[in-house]
Amino acid sequence: MLEIKSLSKTFGAGVAAYHALRSVDVTVEDGEFFTLLGPSGCGKTTLLRLIAGFEQPTGGQLVLDGQDIAAIPPSRRPVNTVFQSYALFPHMTVAQNVAFGLEARGTPARDVAARVEEVLQLVQMDHLRDRKSAALSGGQQQRVALARALAPRPRILLLDEPLSALDLKLRKEMQAELKRLQREMGLTFIFVTHDQDEALTMSDRIAVMEGGRLQQVAAPRDLYDHPANRFVAGFIGETNLLPGEAGNGQLRLAGLAPAPIAEAGAESGAVTVMIRPEHVVVGQEAANAVHTSGRVDELIFFGTDTHVKLSLPGGGSLTARTQNSLHSGTHLTEGQTVPLSLPYEALRILPDEAAHAV
Amino acid sequence: MLSEAASGEALLRRAETRRRWSLAMPALIVISLFSILPLAVMVVYSFLTPGTYGNVEWQFSLDGWFSVIFERDLFDDTLGLADAHLSILGRSALLALATTALTMVFGLPTAWFIATRPVASRAYWMFLITVPFWTNLLVRTIAIQEVIRADGTINRLLLGLGVIDAPIQMMFTNGAVLLGMTYVYLPLMVLPVYAAIEKFDFRLAEAAYDLHASRFYCLRRVIFPLIRPGVIAGSILVFIPALGAYVTPRLMGGGRAMMWGNLIDLQFGQGRNWPLGAALSVSLTLLVMIALVLSVRRFAGGGRADG
Ligand SMILES: Nc1ncnc2c1ncn2[C@@H]1O[C@H](COP(=O)(O)OP(=O)(O)OP(=O)(O)O)[C@@H](O)[C@H]1O
Ligand SMILES: [Mg+2]
Repeated sequence: MLEIKSLSKTFGAGVAAYHALRSVDVTVEDGEFFTLLGPSGCGKTTLLRLIAGFEQPTGGQLVLDGQDIAAIPPSRRPVNTVFQSYALFPHMTVAQNVAFGLEARGTPARDVAARVEEVLQLVQMDHLRDRKSAALSGGQQQRVALARALAPRPRILLLDEPLSALDLKLRKEMQAELKRLQREMGLTFIFVTHDQDEALTMSDRIAVMEGGRLQQVAAPRDLYDHPANRFVAGFIGETNLLPGEAGNGQLRLAGLAPAPIAEAGAESGAVTVMIRPEHVVVGQEAANAVHTSGRVDELIFFGTDTHVKLSLPGGGSLTARTQNSLHSGTHLTEGQTVPLSLPYEALRILPDEAAHAV
Repeated sequence: MLSEAASGEALLRRAETRRRWSLAMPALIVISLFSILPLAVMVVYSFLTPGTYGNVEWQFSLDGWFSVIFERDLFDDTLGLADAHLSILGRSALLALATTALTMVFGLPTAWFIATRPVASRAYWMFLITVPFWTNLLVRTIAIQEVIRADGTINRLLLGLGVIDAPIQMMFTNGAVLLGMTYVYLPLMVLPVYAAIEKFDFRLAEAAYDLHASRFYCLRRVIFPLIRPGVIAGSILVFIPALGAYVTPRLMGGGRAMMWGNLIDLQFGQGRNWPLGAALSVSLTLLVMIALVLSVRRFAGGGRADG
């Protein structure tokens, strides 16, 4: 169990000070596939480097299995890293790269050889064990980097955007494989990515970061269905944000009938309402839903589904997503006006963003 | 399947080699003009007869080469020691080796220091390293003399502080020669090593620490193997001229311990035996070439073997 307690990191000082991490609090459980997700520059790599020991925190604590690891140098932390650039040793063969972490710790030669063989088989690179690492393809280098980090049996494996340099097909393959390895070994992964699909498909839990802060930590499904704020709602998946008013257990979207929603609470005030495009019902007046209508501005074909850009009578716009299966009913044309339903269940109230926006 | 891949690789390698050779053409032309041609003159001269007042007479003779191998009387009237040349060569080689080792000891940390400065200040440090090149070798050597001679800076300082009562004899010792040589050749070590370290990707060192390497282990297994080409280049650049050096050993050692370079110098000057001088020069060149080929084989091969 890794406890990250009010961890802060500030680069530089005075006017040049840059707060890369602002009081990050989170606990990573054993055997968890934990993902750090956020836009470029939000501090993901910085957090990983603090855990690996390459940077010293300017505040807070890192506690691994009850022990504060702040004073332990990187070479003696029981974590290993798969670097974004792979950082394979170019003058060594695949096997020598993988053996490095074991040899550096003084593991007896026979055990090294056995372990190297084992992890090379695990990542299916045993046939290239004597190839110089500089002479490998990107995907192969990625596997070697993974094998090298796994060989010393880390307590936690840190992965900094390990798949970002691969093409889409290879990336999908490696995603599945990484997930399988992690599950089979029961190893704790802290995985960095800025690709939300990657995060959603692979993770047990995702920590969404922005501006050096944790915005929300939750399982992929919860993150998608119950984003904590506008940033998370907008960053994960596509979303519609509508202005509204909440109060008395009722939610009122501008110009529409009120919706009875428990989350609305008793206090009244302006809120932002979120609804995912796939929950918008196009062409029907569904039960337990807010009803309105919209004009079809644009239809964008995506294969399995079509994105429908609609403009609302009140002046707002809305995106819906309709499945392109054989039994899906309505046929839409651009310019047409259609009835729309926003199911009560799908409406999410996001907290006022005034504080967050600063 | 396998052999097909192997032959494909070989083909690629051959194409690569061809490309490199054609890229090297201009350099090869310059080398043949300025290096091979003078060497050819030397080879020709070494097979001629010495003229009475220096120079050569165009008459074939093996005496020059004979004198290199079979030591005959050279400067004094007694029959020359059979191994005089050999011991001079040994001394020169020892001095060159010691110089190389010392420039490594001082040059590697210096290069490391410069290469790890912020990019903006590296140029400034490199500038300081190259400043001595602006002055003539003779002037530089005399400047060191000024520091260490009997009434030089160091002795005056120590006397003034009362640390010593009488000046320490530093000039005209082996130590003085080594000091001078190290000072003169240091930049030749620093430059290529600096270039190698600057190219080194420090993320690799981070990866090594992440993989439980101590600082020393990282240095030995990752950093050094990757900057080794620079160190080898520096060693060659220092060792070869150091082997034939004569100004610095002469001025710092007072001409008591003769070096190969002084021996050659002697033949073209007082000795008036140009063919012998030429033969001595050519034999030095041959020795250096052999040593170079052997060491490059050894180091490059070693690099491939242990990885
Ligand atoms: N050594 C440093 N000195 C100063 N600022 C730094 C340093 N390292 C990182 N930063 C800054 O901290 C911020 C966070 O950087 P970090 O590398 O953690 O981002 P990231 O989330 O990994 O981004 P990316 O997705 O682009 O890799 C950036 O604005 C970066 O410029
Ligand atoms: Mg990063």
